[in-house]
Formats: sequence, C-alpha cells, structure tokens
Amino acid sequence: MQKGGFNFDLYQRNVELIEKNNYKVPKTTKTGTTIVGVVFSDGVVLGADTRATSGPIVADPNCEKIHKISDYIWCAGAGTAADTENTTGMISLQLELLSLSTGRSPRVRTALTLLKNFLFRYHGYISAALVLGGVDFTGPHLHMIHPHGSTSTLPYISMGSGSLAAMAVLETGYNSKMGEEDAKSLVHQAILSGILNDLGSGGNVDLCVIKHKSMEFFRNVDTTNSKRKFRKKLPYMFKSGSTKILEKEIEEKMRKMEIVNEKESQIEELEEL
Amino acid sequence: MKKMSFFNFSLTTFSPNGKLLQIEHALKAVESGATSLGIKASNGVVIVTVKKLPTTLIDENSVKKIQKLNDGIGVIYSGLGPDYRVLISKARKKSQQYFKQYNEIIPVNIISRKVAGIMQEFTQSGGVRPFGVSLLVAGYDHNGPQLFQVDPSGSFWAWKATAIGKNSSNSKKFLEKRYKPDMEIEDAINTAILTLKEGFEGEMDEFNIEVGVIKNDKKFRILEPEEVKDYISELNL
Repeated sequence: MQKGGFNFDLYQRNVELIEKNNYKVPKTTKTGTTIVGVVFSDGVVLGADTRATSGPIVADPNCEKIHKISDYIWCAGAGTAADTENTTGMISLQLELLSLSTGRSPRVRTALTLLKNFLFRYHGYISAALVLGGVDFTGPHLHMIHPHGSTSTLPYISMGSGSLAAMAVLETGYNSKMGEEDAKSLVHQAILSGILNDLGSGGNVDLCVIKHKSMEFFRNVDTTNSKRKFRKKLPYMFKSGSTKILEKEIEEKMRKMEIVNEKESQIEELEEL
Repeated sequence: MKKMSFFNFSLTTFSPNGKLLQIEHALKAVESGATSLGIKASNGVVIVTVKKLPTTLIDENSVKKIQKLNDGIGVIYSGLGPDYRVLISKARKKSQQYFKQYNEIIPVNIISRKVAGIMQEFTQSGGVRPFGVSLLVAGYDHNGPQLFQVDPSGSFWAWKATAIGKNSSNSKKFLEKRYKPDMEIEDAINTAILTLKEGFEGEMDEFNIEVGVIKNDKKFRILEPEEVKDYISELNL
C-alpha cells in the first residue's frame, strides 16, 4: 500500500542513466530571494524582497514572501514558491488545531518543530528554506530552517540567493542592543542589498515587525526599485469615438410577421424571401 | 480504528414500529443532562450552560464546557461529556480541512452539517453506539448570527432560541414569551441567564454557569467569571 511521501522506485535507474549513459541532468531553476530576520529588544523584524522568478523571467514582480503561521508567528520563505506557501499553510492549520485543543496560544518552537519534522520526512526534496520569527509568551524567537530539516537559532539570519549580500549588511550593522527603528532600518538595508546585488532578488521591500501581542506588516515599504517609466493604467480604456469608422452597414434582424388567413399569400411571401 | 471484519453489523436497528431505539435512548441521555440554552439576537448569539459539579472538591477551572471550534464558532452540549470531547476534536479537524481546501473559514451551517454527518455515521456503522449529546452551535459568518442544534440522530436545524437538557420544555416556554426577533445581544444575554435561573436548583453564581457570546466582531468569546457576576447581579436588582 502506497504511504505518503515521494516515490523513489526509479532512483537506481536514474543513477545508472547518469553514470553509464551520460544522461544530462536537467538544470534546477533557482527561484532567487533575499529573506532576512533580526531580533531586537522587544521582538523580531522579518524582511523579504518581492520577486518571483521562473528561470530568467520575472514571474511575479510583487509577490508576498512573508507568510502567517499564527497571529504573532510569521515565516519568510525562500526556494520553490509552491513548497514554501503550502508548507507554511499546512503547519499554520496544525498549529491552530493544537492551540484550540490545548487552550494555549502557540509557541514559536512548536512551529519550528512541526516545520523541521515535516521537511526532514521529505529529505530535502521539498525545497523550502525558511526564516521563522515570532513572539510568544516566552519572548521573541528567530530561527532558520533548511530544506533538509536542520535548524539554527540566531539573533540575525539571511537566506536565499541574495543571502550573502544581505549577510554582509547584517554583520556590519547588527548590535545586540538595537531598538525597533534600528532593527527595521537594518533589515531594510539588508533586503535592499540583496535586491541590488543579486539577480534573483528584486522588486519591493516587505517588512514585518512582531512584538508582544502586536504585529505590523509593512507591505511594499520601499518601491524605488520597481518604478517603471512607461506603465499604462489598467484597464485599457479608449474614449468613445477614438476609433475611426470607415464603413457602416445596417442589417434588420427583426422581421414583422403578419398573420394572413389565405394560404396562397403565405406561400408567395415565403417565395419572396 | 475500525476492524477489517466481514461481521461488523450495526447495533442500531429498526424496531417493528419504525423507531431506532438506540437513538431514542440517546435522546433520553441528553434529556437528563445539564441544561444548556442559546438565543440568537439581531447582532449576535449567546449560549449558556449549567456547570453543576457533583462535589465542591472538583477544581471548576479544569472543567470548560463551552468550547471554540474556531475563532468565529462556539459550541455547548447537553448529555455525556466524553462523547462531546470526541465530537469537538473531530469538528475542529473538519473545519481546518475545510479551510485547507477552500481557503475560507467554514460557515456555521456547513460545520453543523458535517458534525451532524459524523453523528449519523455512528447510528449506522458497525459496532458503535450513537453519541449521547445534543449540541448547540453558535456562530457569526457572512449569513449573520446563527444558532444550530445537532441531535444524536444526526438531524440538525437552526433555532432563534432554544434549550436542551433538563427542564428544556419549561425553559423553551419561558423563551417563547420573551423572545423578540429584533432583540439585541445584551438583552439576549440577560434573557438567557434569567431563563437559566428559572429552572436552577439552588443558588446561581458566576462559578456554576458558563456564558459564551459572539457579536458582530465575529469572535467567539467565553465570558470571564467577573463579567458573568455583573450580569447576575443586574438580574438580582
């Protein structure tokens, strides 16, 4: 009986094809992202860019990469968009069920454990690299989760293709005594660094500030990188009369019917048509 | 987990006069349970129940009869507590599954229908007995405030105001006189507590009743004992 998970029946055959038959492995498409998290005195700040790519094409210039796990636990996701969205969605449902059944508000470490156990089961085949941050009754927490299921707890984190650019900014600017405004500005600069220096990241900057029983989502806080010069306002509207009429032909669609008693005249009328 | 057996027959079978006696017995179990009642107002729903514990030694904080299914739906019961707990678990899971599938918070009438479906299953499946509870489901969704009752048979229907459990017929008569269709939620809370007081054996205080309210903010809330105390003292004046 097929249980859940991926089917590895063809694994052996694939390995042999690559080694013996010189089969060319298709290139994996990198989706590209810069996601960042920073802990400050009262909570955590999460940041993300908004570009979703499909190979060399920008599939969505303004997508949302910061997902809600619960009211005060949010998660930024890098990797395959479908994987990050559905993984965070499922864990969010499980966490709500758990919090209803225990009568307690959910903890960040519970979300962390659910996510890492789920990803480990799929041995890295679910390509979701996550930055999980939130504030629960034990205080602010920030974790990074790799696709294979390993996790780290750190005061500042960056993930995605733009993580090196962002980490450079974080390493320079981070100090353990930061307040909310400093942390927001640092995260903003880190994401901007990723957007400017990494091809896979781009678009706008999204920020999420979580404190005790408070969450503020700054969607598109910085749009300087996505202001295109020529952009027509949708929907396309043309003023009535702007299209020149070259020819006009009027066709009568409704024929008036006259009830005639005589059969002969009916046949004559039909013949005329 | 059901056994994979070829001989798993239903224990609920028809009697010669067309009744399902097991369901009738289950309804009797409900009738002898603690009173619960609900009132649907124009801008909200209130459900209340009697929390009579057999001895003062029981820690009443550990007993929570009114439960939430999700942010916008609350439930109360009359009958067997353990059966209720199982139904609540199943109902919560159903509402999350619905959200996963449709990305929409489950409407009140749909969750009532699903719970009724579960209860009906247990009247027809092999080797199980019907649930010995009737539920009152209170919620506020895009169709406004709603109050549903779900019975052990699996039938469910909406009420404007109703009572289940001990003394339910007297309580319903009382509600019939006092119910007005344009009632506001505050008025409804007072009426509900007053109705409960009518059939209450002994002294009613904020620790031996539970009150759950949902207003047009669509967030179901179980009232704290201090708030319940305020309502009771208003009635005593």
